[in-house]
Amino acid sequence: MTEEPNLKEIERRAYMSYHQDGLLDIFAGLYILGFGLGIFMDIIWDFGMGVIIIPGGLIAVALPIWIAVKRKITMPRIGFVKFGPAGGTSKLMAIFIGLAVAGLGFFFVFTLATFQSGSRQWLDLIFQNGMLILGFGSLAVCILFGYSMGLRRLYAYGLLAMITLVIGHLLDIFFAYILSALGITVIATGVALLIGFVKKYPLKGDKAIAE
Amino acid sequence: MTKQLPNNDVGIHDIDRLIHEPSRLMIMAQLYVVQSADFTFLLHQTGMTPGNLSAHLSKLEEAGYVEVTKEFLDRKPHTALALTKEGRAAFKEYRRKVKQFVEKLPE
Repeated sequence: MTEEPNLKEIERRAYMSYHQDGLLDIFAGLYILGFGLGIFMDIIWDFGMGVIIIPGGLIAVALPIWIAVKRKITMPRIGFVKFGPAGGTSKLMAIFIGLAVAGLGFFFVFTLATFQSGSRQWLDLIFQNGMLILGFGSLAVCILFGYSMGLRRLYAYGLLAMITLVIGHLLDIFFAYILSALGITVIATGVALLIGFVKKYPLKGDKAIAE
Repeated sequence: MTKQLPNNDVGIHDIDRLIHEPSRLMIMAQLYVVQSADFTFLLHQTGMTPGNLSAHLSKLEEAGYVEVTKEFLDRKPHTALALTKEGRAAFKEYRRKVKQFVEKLPE
């Protein structure tokens, strides 16, 4: 008797296969690095809006680039799949909502940090322990998305973010250095995954997509 | 003495044999969890040979379970495969019947 297929596992594998190209990591890493560079920009040029403009600009250009790269690199190699409302689309939406919520939260805290004089005690407490809060928050967000998307490497990213931010808090390391280092690490992982993906699935001419 | 089979509502003969074949079951399951996929994607996910996959897809298409849509992606011909309404309903029914049949078997 044929066993009943495990649809959740099949869906998870289909979804994972579409994200083994490392693009998600590269774009997430760029986004994190964008925040780090934005802070540097604000300090070096006293710009004041870099932390908003750079990540915001990245989001605006990321989607068309993402689609183009998926079409040029991923699709010819592993094929094309459209996830339905019950599957990956809702997960993809969850990613964007998650990123938007995280971005808004970050924006909110940073705007407060810039414009607030720190007269309220609870605000001081948040800012004094900002890296700790962000570290544990990152771990929680990464576990949540890693679990819902079946991407276990997000657990490692969450752990890495938490450890570096806690160390940064304890050793009083400048926040932008930590963000930039995290961003570069995630981008490097994404690039390594992309290289591995391209090697694993070499192009077989136009037939691969035109079947 | 032969062991008497339970009086199931669903018998083995009620199960859709077209879907029950392991390779086709795999294809149906793959297409069930997505909106549509192309030949290359199914090839990677099922691990079947192109000839084998093509033959099974033809049978599923003939039965009206799978629809094939030809389109152009980046000016290249592209074939999208998806379960039809009937295909989705048949797969749901298949799952229900298999579950019911297996659950009522003696330990």
